[in-house]
Order: sequence, then C-alpha cells, then structure tokens
Amino acid sequence: MTVLDDVRRGMIPAHIYNDEDIFRLERDRVFGRSWQFVAHESEIPSPGDYVVRRVLDDSFIVVRDEQGDVRVLFNMCLHRGMQVCRAEIGNASHFRCPYHGWSYRNDGRLVGLPFYRDAYGGESGFRRAGQTLLPAPSLDIYNGLIFVSLDADAPPLRDYLGDFAFYLDYYTRQSDAGIELRGPQRWRIKANWKIGAENFAGDMYHTPHTHTSVVEIGLFREPKAEKRKDGSTYWAGNGGGTTYKLPPGTFDERLRYVGYPDEMIARMKETWSAAQQKVIGENGFMISAASLFPNLSFVHNWPKVADSDDVLPFMSLRLWQPVSADETEVLSWFAVDKQAPEQFKLLSYKAYLMCFGSSGMFEQDDVENWVSMTSTAAGQMARRLRLNSRMGLLADDTTVTEALGSDEFAGPGTAYVGYAEHNQRALLHRWADYLEQPIAAADPVDIGARP
Amino acid sequence: MTARSGASLPFDDQRHLLAHRWLVDETYLLDAQNYAAWLELLAEDVRYLMPVRATTALGAGFDTAPGMAHFDEDKYSLSRRVARFATEHAWTEDPPSRLRHHLSNVRTFATDRADELLVDSAVLLFRSRGDVREPALVSYGRQDLLRSTSDGWLLALRSITVDESVLRIQNLAVFL
Repeated sequence: MTVLDDVRRGMIPAHIYNDEDIFRLERDRVFGRSWQFVAHESEIPSPGDYVVRRVLDDSFIVVRDEQGDVRVLFNMCLHRGMQVCRAEIGNASHFRCPYHGWSYRNDGRLVGLPFYRDAYGGESGFRRAGQTLLPAPSLDIYNGLIFVSLDADAPPLRDYLGDFAFYLDYYTRQSDAGIELRGPQRWRIKANWKIGAENFAGDMYHTPHTHTSVVEIGLFREPKAEKRKDGSTYWAGNGGGTTYKLPPGTFDERLRYVGYPDEMIARMKETWSAAQQKVIGENGFMISAASLFPNLSFVHNWPKVADSDDVLPFMSLRLWQPVSADETEVLSWFAVDKQAPEQFKLLSYKAYLMCFGSSGMFEQDDVENWVSMTSTAAGQMARRLRLNSRMGLLADDTTVTEALGSDEFAGPGTAYVGYAEHNQRALLHRWADYLEQPIAAADPVDIGARP
Repeated sequence: MTARSGASLPFDDQRHLLAHRWLVDETYLLDAQNYAAWLELLAEDVRYLMPVRATTALGAGFDTAPGMAHFDEDKYSLSRRVARFATEHAWTEDPPSRLRHHLSNVRTFATDRADELLVDSAVLLFRSRGDVREPALVSYGRQDLLRSTSDGWLLALRSITVDESVLRIQNLAVFL
C-alpha cells in the first residue's frame, strides 16, 4: 500500500488522520492484535471490585475475583448477548443479566440459569459446567497495569513492551508498592486517536509555541518551554518519550529539584536499577511525556501549585481510545506512588488538575489543535498533501544530530538531544507494520452445545 | 461546613432575590468571558469543585469516581487559569467560544449564619466554536455558598454536579 510506504519515509498522507477505510483497518489490525491497557490493579483492590472498560467497541468487566485474581470478562451474556454489567465501577459477587436472569460469579463462571431442567433438560440439553463469560483472549499485567489483547496468540506483554519497560518503571514503579491510579476523567474530542499518541511520544517541538501561555503565567520556576530543545527523546522497544535536561547535580539533588521529598527519593534508589538511576543522576535527563504503541500515553511534569517558588511533580496515564476516524475518547488518570506522603499526594493531584486532563491548561490548547487537524484531514485536498514528518533527518536519511552514546544516555534504545520527529516516525512505522499484516478470523465459540 | 437551615426561602424573600440576582449577574460575566471581574467575586478561601460522575448500580452508595475531579480549585489555581486566558497565547479560546450559561431552578436556603446563604441552581451551558463545528452542551447542577463581606457577596464554595459521565466537550476551558 503506497500510503504505508509514504509513512515509512516520513511523508505522512494527511488523510490518515480522518479516513474511514484506514480506521476500519486500524480497528482490525492494530486494535485487534496489540496489547491494550484497560485498568490498574489499584483501581480494583478488593475481591469483587470491578471497572468496565472498552477496547474499541468491545466492553470488558475488569474484576478481582474472590480468590484475588484479576479477570477480564467480555461483558456479554452467553444467552442473548445483553451486557451483564451496566455500571462503570462497583463491587459485586455476581453479575446477573437483567433480560432472563442468567447469572455469573465474579470469576466469570455461569452459575444461575433459570428453569435449567424444565427449559433445557439440564446438562443433556445445555452443557452448563465450565461455561464462563468469554475471557479476554490474552491478559497480562506489568507493574499492576492490566493489559488485554484480542489476539489469543499475542506475545507475552513483557516481550511486547521490550526495552520501553525500562522507562515505564519511572512512571509506574517509584517504590516496591507501585502506583495508585485515580480517575479516569473521560471526555470525547473530535480528533483522530493517533495525533495524541504521536504528540506524547516525541513532540518536544510544539511545547515552546503551543504552551507559551502556561509559561507566561508563571506556572513554572523557569522559562521552561524554551528549554525543551536541551532535552532528549528516546525510542525503545514498543514506545518512546521525551525528557527535560536538568541543571547539574546528583541523583538526589535533581529529584529534589523537580519537587520529590527525600523519603520518596530514597525509595526510588532502592527500586530502580543502576542504569535507571544513571539517566537522571549522571546523564541529567528527567522523563516527561511518552507513548506506548499504539494508544497509551504518560506524562510527568512539575509545576508550581501555590504562589511560591516550590514546584511539585505529578504523573498521568491516558488512553486515546478511538471512537471513529474523527473522534477519540480520552481517559486520563492521575498516578501517584502508593507510599508517597499524604500531603505530597494532595499537592501532586492539584498539579495534575491544573496541567492535564479535562480541564488542564496544557491539554486545553493541545486538543484545540488536534480537533482542527482532524477536521481538515477529511477533504480531497488532504489526499494530495503529504505532511513532512522528517524532522531530524537529512535528505539521505542520515540524522541531523548523532544519537547519544551510552556514556551520555544510559537508557536502552536510541536517544537524541533536541527537536526531531524520530519518535513520531517510529510510532507510525510500527502502525504501518501492523496495518500491513492481515488478521486471521478468530475461531468462534459455541456456547453450551454438544461437541 | 455551613448547613442549610429549613425549607427553601420564599421567592419574594430579600435573601433569595439577592442570591438570584447575584447568579444572573455572574452568568453574564461568564458568557462574556469577563474573568477578571469574575475573579473579584470569589472569596480568598474559595473552593471550586467538579467531581467526575460515574455510572454505578442502584444502591451502590456513590456516583463519582473516587478521589478524582474535573476541577478541584482554590483561588491560586483559578487565578492562574484566568491569567492564562489573558495572555495572547491561550489558543483554545482564540477565536473565543460563544458561550451561553442558561441558568434556572434557583432556590436559596438560609444557614445558621446571617452572612452566608446556600444556593442551588441548574445550568445548561451552550458552547459554540468556529462556524460549523458541532456545539457542545454541558448540563449540570450547582450548590453554591455565598458569603457577605465588606466587598459584597462573594462565592465561597461552588460544587458542580455534572450530568454526564463522559463529557462531550473538547475541554473545560470554561467556568461553570
């Protein structure tokens, strides 16, 4: 497909941001196969706790069963296909279908079938034993992050993450206790899902302009947006992200500089590998935004939360959940280390609300741009325009700046200092690889029939 | 926390008339995006809260996402939001939205303090951006605490109960 060839050379046909044919392929080949984040274990701490989340059009109940195991169950009654859970969050020992009263334990097992003997003739008519709500074809967990894949043959999650796991730890494992996730805020934007994923993966170039206002109002200690070009971007395994360059100092001093209290810094030192500490302590890079292919993003930043010079860091996870070619539901969570002091959690939460999420001051201007791009991408002229996404590359495909050596950047993958679109290209390259591969139809499951 | 005392005030009660007029006047400030003047109406210790609503089973005992809000603001954070709109680089409001806060169902309660009134209201916000983009609607209820000070009546608490779990608006670059 010529579109994919164009994408691979960094020339992006503008219509891929609003094209129903492309979206249909994405639905099957990207979202029918990739690992999809659905929830964090801290959202369902006790037996029976559940949240209902979607992978595109498919609704899943993410529930902790009575044994404490996490289950992800397709939210469709085996009888007539009704949703057995119509709330978004709660606690239940059973899910009962409101249509005919079939009921399931919170591990998915079918246990209640009204008039089983009279209507079905018992086991000889309908094999009830062993029937469960359909489990997600693949389920795996990393640092408490629960992922599913609609592909029963998906590679192990750890393999899928690859070297991006190194960076994922910064956001989701600041101590052995891990994070707690709160939210999500959910809202729908008339923008294509890829735009946000690309932006968080590597777009340091937009910060000085799009987010000028946030700097002008003194939300940061220093004129931070302009400093973005001193940061680095990295791509590793199945994801990539951006960093800020911090002033000189030790690991402790640099984490103090972005607002972490000493007790949290001590736990990071116990938890992170030598290389993970070196990226901050010796190389001087502090993680900022990132994306894991295809549509899970992360952000870490440190604004002022009161009228003083003190800054405080926050973290957020967000899912760009596609609704259609031109609409995305954003699910944005606040994340904080479970063992963080209560006062830190409170201020970090305030920092998050001011910057990101449905009301966040960064996010407000981002979304305005993305909505405008998406609407413009629908027309015929957009089919003629190939957007140049080659920043950081010369005409002969060599890079404008050299990749950082291992003495300059201790993390895995490939990292560069300054503005470039290496990561956006890497993300779309992966996207092209997925779109190219046809997907086999999954085997249907007969319910209760004799073999 | 100030508690409401007794039934809602009669609609010809001076305190209700005062509160209702305060809210209507505020609505015009918000529609005009005259946020500098609006900020003057907020008490120094104002709390401005908008929880995230969530769909829960009947009898679950809660209907918001635990520990999360769309807004959970104090005077400092509101002042930064207002200051941002006053820069020349708040792109999301350039060109500005056309806003109309449709205010209704206003009722006022006396409290055990003569200088504080609790006011309930319902608002339907209409927001239009650009020429042909679909407009956004946000339906919500408010519980406000108005306090009499030497600077007149000021908003000390606004608790916003939004009627959707998933907002159908591109951002909350508005005040509700």
